[in-house]
Formats: sequence, structure tokens, C-alpha cells
Amino acid sequence: MDEEKKQGDVFEAIEGLTQVDPNALADFQRAMNEEVIPEIIKVVEERRMLAAESRHWPLKC
Amino acid sequence: MYTWLSLKSSADLAQLESCISQEYGPKRAAEKLAGGISDAVKGVLIERNYVDKDYRSTYYHFYAKKGQHYLPNCVRLHFFDQTVAFDESALKLTCPEGPEHLNDHYYGYMVLRPTGIATIGRTVLSPDVRSGASRYIITANHKVHVLGYRLMIEGFPSMDQHVDISVCAHVACWSILRHYSERYNSYREFLTHDITLMAHQFDPGGLIPSKGLEVSHAERVFQVAGTYPVHVTRDTKKASDPSFYRQLSAYVESGFPLFAAMHKHGHAVAVVGYERRTPVNTQVPGMRYAWDEVQTLAFVDDNNLPYLPVPVTGGAPYSAEDIDAFIVALPEKVFYPADAVDRLAPTLFKLGGVLDLPPGNQTIIRYFITTGSALRHFVRERESEFDPKLVATIMTLPFAQFVWIVEFATELQWAVGQIAARAVIDATASLREVMPLWLMHSRTHALVFNRLTVSLDLQSGIRGLKLADMGHTGFTRMDQNLRPTKTK
Repeated sequence: MDEEKKQGDVFEAIEGLTQVDPNALADFQRAMNEEVIPEIIKVVEERRMLAAESRHWPLKC
Repeated sequence: MYTWLSLKSSADLAQLESCISQEYGPKRAAEKLAGGISDAVKGVLIERNYVDKDYRSTYYHFYAKKGQHYLPNCVRLHFFDQTVAFDESALKLTCPEGPEHLNDHYYGYMVLRPTGIATIGRTVLSPDVRSGASRYIITANHKVHVLGYRLMIEGFPSMDQHVDISVCAHVACWSILRHYSERYNSYREFLTHDITLMAHQFDPGGLIPSKGLEVSHAERVFQVAGTYPVHVTRDTKKASDPSFYRQLSAYVESGFPLFAAMHKHGHAVAVVGYERRTPVNTQVPGMRYAWDEVQTLAFVDDNNLPYLPVPVTGGAPYSAEDIDAFIVALPEKVFYPADAVDRLAPTLFKLGGVLDLPPGNQTIIRYFITTGSALRHFVRERESEFDPKLVATIMTLPFAQFVWIVEFATELQWAVGQIAARAVIDATASLREVMPLWLMHSRTHALVFNRLTVSLDLQSGIRGLKLADMGHTGFTRMDQNLRPTKTK
């Protein structure tokens, strides 16, 4: 299992990688959790409702 | 059986009327062609008694059952340039470089059905000879057999609706699915009559299909055909819904033709390409998207020859912004919707401190779907643009089959087909993922994401990579899914 995990660790296979300062990611992470993901969930649901309404539009020209 | 028509200009197409029986509607076909193809077409080979599989599918199931007598065969018109001639006695086509080069001088074909009205059947025309065709068109190679020659034409299929058994929506579905069957070997071919049946749960019989379809019927056609249709509708309650058009543009840029519905016109078309406006240096700050740079969309509309250029606004009888809903027939495994990418893309600027991105308000964003292998191929062909460590990273990351690409370009880079940075998003990601990325890179840095661990522990799932300066001002924009039109 550990061996499989090690082989699956893509970072082991790429040279030159370095740790990233967590502070540099914090603003992105906060925006995703507090704004973007809730907005995505909302807009996808809204699109689903809009699609349901448009399914009965007639097309005959 | 075969007649050759030499043309000095497209106006000479009027001669078709004297060469072809009236039930094939030669006058109307000639008028349409004369108004829609360029003078580069100098020769038309008229092929009579052509057995057209699409017409036959409607003949067997409809026309043969009628009291009025309909012929079983069609006429097919083949279009050539000035170098090709026809030897009538030997039934041979000739061109200066020899018959193996005939294909270089072939511009496609149009089938005429013996139905009296709406006679233009299956047509595959080169965008190069379509007057005003948009710059980028989604195409596939279509095989053509005539006089023992095997020709190939690169284009998008179109036809007129039959009026009595099929309407605009059937034709739009047929065009898209015929493109799929020619372009991808995983999709089978569907004939015109198949499409009319696929739209309903049961065989509606007779003239019922001509009473029109609903958008849901088109969605059903694509489901039955084995695709995974995504149906996106514009929010008409809002004053504007730019995200809708950005998504539309993204799917077309990805090489997926769209079934597009215009509610107020009760009309459906296939969207198969676009043309960008001439780049201008506006110096006006503000984030823009690829859609903002689109001047026209290319429609396959059953009332017109293919590749009809339709302006974004102010067109007659309609504009691209009259599209209210579209269906994109996606392959399986595209789970992360365009709506999510549209929200995520501008948020990626928050990683700009690590990646040295251009300011968001001076950037043009473009996003589209491609495959991981297409991305690798693109990078391999342009290895010299990339730090070898970045090439190795792209070759090593275990991409799922489909990825969303987000490209960021300054106005100056956009004008010359370059970008500043690129993000690779997992198209199989879930909506709630904080880091649905495989990779994001600029010219100086890259962020690499381990999709095995990044959702469990952000810190251990992300690494940085410092990139060497490769001595250029931007990477090549990944414009590869559509065929550039070479106007003739």
C-alpha cells in the first residue's frame, strides 16, 4: 500500500519542486471557500432551473 | 449521367436550371450558390442518379408511401477550381498535377433531392469558398467517391429542412451528429429519418415531426446518439448574462458544435465557428474574455448555405445574442461545468503573487476543453517555448482524459496570438473542490497540484517550480481545435 502510494505520488517523479508558502495560498483558499464555491453551487442550480423552463420551447422555423 | 459546367463567375451557376430537372429545384439551388460561394469555383460536375443515404432514409419511410410519385435518386453537384477539367468521352477528371492531386482542387459537394421544395440535401462545402465565412470553423474530413476517385473534403455538413418531415431542429441535430460520426470513430452515423425517430419516445409517424420539436427533443436526440448533452439557458430575467455567452464561446473554441435555440424566432441552428474582431489597443482597464473579442459566429442554418457569419449584435434577421439556449453534446467525463470554470478563472488571479501573473484588469481570459493528450502534443510541438522542467511536468502529470484550459493574455499578447499564463483544470473535478487544478504556470513560475492529496491536505498537495527564462514574450495561444479559413 505504501509502495503504491509512493508510486502514485506525482511529486516524486518531478524534479525541482519546492514547498509553497501557505500564506501565498491563503487568499485564494478563503475566496474559494467563502465566495466562489457557494456561488458555483448556486449558479449551477439556477442554470438547471432555467434549462428546465426552456425545454418546452417550440422550434419549428 | 455526368455533365460538366464551366463557370466564368458564380453568376454562371444559373445554367444549372437548364441542365437539371425541375423536381430537383435547380433554380433555387443556383441562386443560393451564386449568392454564397466565391468565384474561385470554376467548374461544377453534375452527377445524376446519385444514391444519397440521407434522402433514401426519408424516401423509404415517407416519400415512397405518398400518392405523388417521387424519384428515388438525387443529383449531386461537385465543385472544383479552374485547374480541373472533365473529359466527357473518357469520363475522367483531369488536373495539371495528375489525378492524385484532384483533392487539392476540390471544394465539396451539394446533393439535390427530387422533392420539388426544399431540395438542397446533404452538403459539405469548403469554408474557403463560402463568401464571408468566419475565420475559424469546426470541421471534419468527409470522404467523397465520384467517378472512381476518392476525394476528401474538410467542412461541416448542412442541408435544408425537408419542411414536411423535418424542421430546423432536426437538421441542426443531424448536422452535429454527422460531424461527430465523421470526426470521432466512437460515434455511429445517423440518417435524417433516424433523427426524426430519436426525438420521440415512440415513432410519431407521418407528418408529426414537421409540427416542430421542443428543445427537450433535441436533447433527447443527443442522448440517444450516445453523447452526454449539457443544456445551458440564458437568464433572461437579468439585464445581461455575459457568462452564458462566454460559455457558448468556450465550447465552440473547444471544437464542440452547438445546437442553439432562439426562442423569439422559434428557430434552431448549429453554431460551428467564429471570427474574432481585429485586435485593438484600447488601454481601457478591465478584465475581458475571449467572447468580448468575438465579432461573428458561424451558423449552419437550414435556410442558408453553411458557415453563415452572424454578428454578435445588430444582425438581420438575427444576431448571435438572440441565442437563448444551447445544447453541447459532450463526451462522458466532463463533470466540471463551464459555469464553474467561468467563476474560477478570475479567482486564479489570487495566485498571482506566486505566479507573477499580469494584473487582472489588463487581462483577456480564454477557457476551453481539450484532452490531456492534446495538451501534451501541443507542448511537445513547441518544446523550445517551455523550460524543460515544465515539459517534464506536463508529460508526467496523470491528467484525466479531459481538461479545461484557462489562458491569460495581455492585450498586446492577445494581438499576436500569445499568452502570459495557462491553468490546467481537471474536467472531472467536483463542484466543491477548492483546488480543482492540475497545473498553473506563467513564464517564471509554476504551481503543480497532486490530485491524489490536494483535496485532503492543501499544503502537501501543492508544489512550486521556478522556471528558466526561455527568452520570449509569451507562450503560443492554444488555437488548435478549429480550422482556419483560407479564403479563395
